[in-house]
Amino acid sequence: MAPSGIPPKRALPSKESTLFKELLNLYESRQLKKGLKTADQILKKFPEHGETVCMKGLILTHMGRREEGIDLVKKGVRLDLTSHIVWHVFGLIQKGEKNYEEALKSYTQALKFDKENMNILRDAAHLQTQLRLFDGLVDTRHTLLKLRPNLRQNWIGLAVAYHLNGSIDEAKKVLEHYESTLKNIPDYDVEHSEVLLYHIRLLEDLGLYQEAVSLLDVNAKSRAIIDRTAIMEYRARLLTKLGEHDEAEQTWHALIEQNPDSYEYFRGYFSNRSIDLDNITKETRLKAVESLREFSSQLPRAAAPRRLALDVAVGDEFKALAEPYLFSGLDKGIPSLFADIKALYRDDEKQHAIASIVEALRERLSSQPQSNSSESEPPTTYLWTLYFLAQHYSHISDHQRALQLLDLALEHTPTLPELLMYKARVLKRLGDPFGAARSMDEARVLDLQDRFLNTKCAKYRLRAGLEEEAQEVLGLFTKKDASSPAADLEDMQSLLFLTEDADAQKRNGAYGLALKKYHAVQKVFNEVEDDQYDFHGYSLRRFTLNIYLNLIPWEDHLRSHPAYIHTAIAAAQIYIELHDDPSLATKASSSSHLSEAEKKAKKKAKKAAQKSQEEAKKAATQAASTNEDKGLEPTAPKDDDPTGTKLLEHAGALDRAWKLLSPLVTLAEDNIDAQLVIYDVAVRRSKYLQAAKALKQAKSLDADHPELHLRLVDFRQRVSSLPQIPPEPIGSVVKGAIAELIPDEVSLETYNSQYVQRHSTSGKAVLASGKVLQKLNTPIAEVESALFGALNPEVVLDIPTAIDVLELLKNVKSERAEEFRNACDVKFVSSTVFKSPKELAEMRLKAFATAAGEEEQTKPEEAS
Amino acid sequence: MNIRPARIDDLMGMQACNLQNLPENYTMRYYLYHALTWPQLSYVAEDHKGRIVGYILAKMEEDIGTEDEPHGHVTSISVLRSYRRLGLAKRLMVQSQEAMATIYRASYVSLHVRKSNRAALSLYKDTLGFTVKDIEKKYYADGEDAVR
Repeated sequence: MAPSGIPPKRALPSKESTLFKELLNLYESRQLKKGLKTADQILKKFPEHGETVCMKGLILTHMGRREEGIDLVKKGVRLDLTSHIVWHVFGLIQKGEKNYEEALKSYTQALKFDKENMNILRDAAHLQTQLRLFDGLVDTRHTLLKLRPNLRQNWIGLAVAYHLNGSIDEAKKVLEHYESTLKNIPDYDVEHSEVLLYHIRLLEDLGLYQEAVSLLDVNAKSRAIIDRTAIMEYRARLLTKLGEHDEAEQTWHALIEQNPDSYEYFRGYFSNRSIDLDNITKETRLKAVESLREFSSQLPRAAAPRRLALDVAVGDEFKALAEPYLFSGLDKGIPSLFADIKALYRDDEKQHAIASIVEALRERLSSQPQSNSSESEPPTTYLWTLYFLAQHYSHISDHQRALQLLDLALEHTPTLPELLMYKARVLKRLGDPFGAARSMDEARVLDLQDRFLNTKCAKYRLRAGLEEEAQEVLGLFTKKDASSPAADLEDMQSLLFLTEDADAQKRNGAYGLALKKYHAVQKVFNEVEDDQYDFHGYSLRRFTLNIYLNLIPWEDHLRSHPAYIHTAIAAAQIYIELHDDPSLATKASSSSHLSEAEKKAKKKAKKAAQKSQEEAKKAATQAASTNEDKGLEPTAPKDDDPTGTKLLEHAGALDRAWKLLSPLVTLAEDNIDAQLVIYDVAVRRSKYLQAAKALKQAKSLDADHPELHLRLVDFRQRVSSLPQIPPEPIGSVVKGAIAELIPDEVSLETYNSQYVQRHSTSGKAVLASGKVLQKLNTPIAEVESALFGALNPEVVLDIPTAIDVLELLKNVKSERAEEFRNACDVKFVSSTVFKSPKELAEMRLKAFATAAGEEEQTKPEEAS
Repeated sequence: MNIRPARIDDLMGMQACNLQNLPENYTMRYYLYHALTWPQLSYVAEDHKGRIVGYILAKMEEDIGTEDEPHGHVTSISVLRSYRRLGLAKRLMVQSQEAMATIYRASYVSLHVRKSNRAALSLYKDTLGFTVKDIEKKYYADGEDAVR
């Protein structure tokens, strides 16, 4: 293994040399205990043998004696700096810690001393892929192929490396060469089939459609490609691109027959006939409807063509198609019928048509005496009709009508969870989170086996700020051996729970706990990012290249996921508040101010820590006697900050925020909330260019956005009050940017009053202008009267904005805050969020008082 | 609802759907393992906004005895409660089975279900035509038996 010219300190006498080889083998087969013994045997005579010291350290790390092991590895490296083995071992440890950069450095070092080591080369390739160092990856794959050209996956590895590096043409050449060397491919070889499909994909990407079709046809015919769906999809698409419309049509048709519920196949079929289903014109409408009617009669069980026809048809034709569609959905009691047709409401005419069809049905059914003649509709049709109409009215903001219809339906059938679920939703929209939570709980109790209802109920409890009660109900379905329901949901990467729980804690003012959960979301995304590592090698071995090549760009855009964006913004907002008012942190962290929830969390964490300590002890004693492999990944350190107190610390708050936000600069370019909070953090970190860039981006998205207005004023104010303009060239760029963003000839006061005049009917604009007034140190009476403007009848004010106005009044210590609260309580009749604290406390109690007894009787473990 | 083969960017939606619906949950790694080993076998149902409302996560059984024929296995299948009665589960199953048969020459498909889960048992037996092979004792983490 070692190159010639072994340095004396590495050379071992033949007995020990044999032992060392044995040690390597024992490690490879993970016979850790024996390996440890063997290492000690060598070290007895040669305690300074670097490679053995490293191997011992590696084995100890695998056995769970991590610190001791890593110390030995580091010592071993120092003892023999020119050994490829010590660097390889060090690299393995770093890789286990997910420190990919450092690991790659160690591997590169190892390769200096053993240029042709296949294992090290392969690992280096995986690290280069993980780090997106594609130039280096191409080199490494080249070396591997040169060393072992007879290994099939080495060819594929090089092609994939070129592909990732953007050299599609080179990838194609490698593949062609590879295919020409193949002999004796077995029948039905999935791996070969995948490679051929990859080849066709490359040809398509290169625009070589004719070549692609030829390759596809030859290999489909010879059964070398066996994925029939893929064959047809490629073929239909390629033929369409080639303009061979007749043949393409046949293939699209075949695809539709195989899966008549795929919208893509219908889109493809029509686009081949120059009909764009998403942009129907006068010319194409008739043809499209006709075809879809035909499909509907040919494929009686398919839903897609019927539904697509509703998109396309208009006028009387639409009515004629919509009526049977709606009637059949209501007869069958399809709960999603409204969600399904809601998209049609973008067209007013269609909305009216649908409403009148279903209203007419309701009238007919309500006057029809129940039960008698055979031709009458089943009684459930009436029920589902009421359900549908309730959704319709709530959707057009007539929530009271929706509630009346739901009550009517509940009188008819009190045991249908869907009715109560929707009632909960309407109450939520009306601003009654407690009533909503209660209604969802009533739904849940009707079917305790259903986790869907359980999840919904928990979510509604969280929305009402009932954090503990939410955990209780979630615990009915989480693993019993988890330390808490929340811990299980976090382990299972439930973004829904983590997000909703964090938001609830934030609303409750428990910032530490909220930040904990927001960071837990971040952790999920880190895990998913790390998950790809193993597939860099695995996918080549399994020849699943096509999906692998989709995995890589997906991982690169992972943090554009709505849950990531939402939580990064929300956490950053807390950090900004903490930065602006450090007293918030001291208030929150001094234990006398801990909320009930935080105290509980502390207790729970203490218990969990005890448990894990005990387990660690047990493991340590076991480790000495067993072979159990703990792997190289460090076990999660015990949580020494269960309430998130450390996260509340002023120092580093903005850096923590920036770490969460930085991916959003590019991944959430079109999200104005993200751009605004990026500004907030950047400007506080004195990154003025970044701040200006974010505002420019936000302005391009929505120049009149109220929160942007506030930031524009903030930016000019901050920069003009700087003791020094930033040094050149930044200074003039920033100045230029400000001039571009906000005219410098008007005063900020005028700018603000002009803004609110332009948007005098917007509640959000009133709020923003009030914030600006406060910023400009306007007398409080003026701020108050501006904010009270939100209550003018012509102003459109929604509940969340009204809550924000109230909060602002409280923040500026306005004596009129209570007056505003009362006015909102009157204005939002059905809402409870503007009730007095005493009234709220009572409502809170009622929100989950239902059917507590019933739960006891029905064992939740029965559920599945 | 649109029914189509699952793509990489569906996996998080599938995981969310699973967590909302079923007590047997998996980390993303397990979804990735399915997708990157048998990329053709999993299918999703999505609504008009592209939200995953149902899915089938499927694989080929890897350790089969010498006498056993290659066969598929359904790791998880579910449809959000609010999207039931559309026959989505059946449609998903049909597509997945077809892929198992043509690509991997599967001769049958197996799955496990909690003994107590009457709703699921009836779906598999009555709607999808599965038959009970045996009871696997304590298959689930909490000690419940599985019907196979």
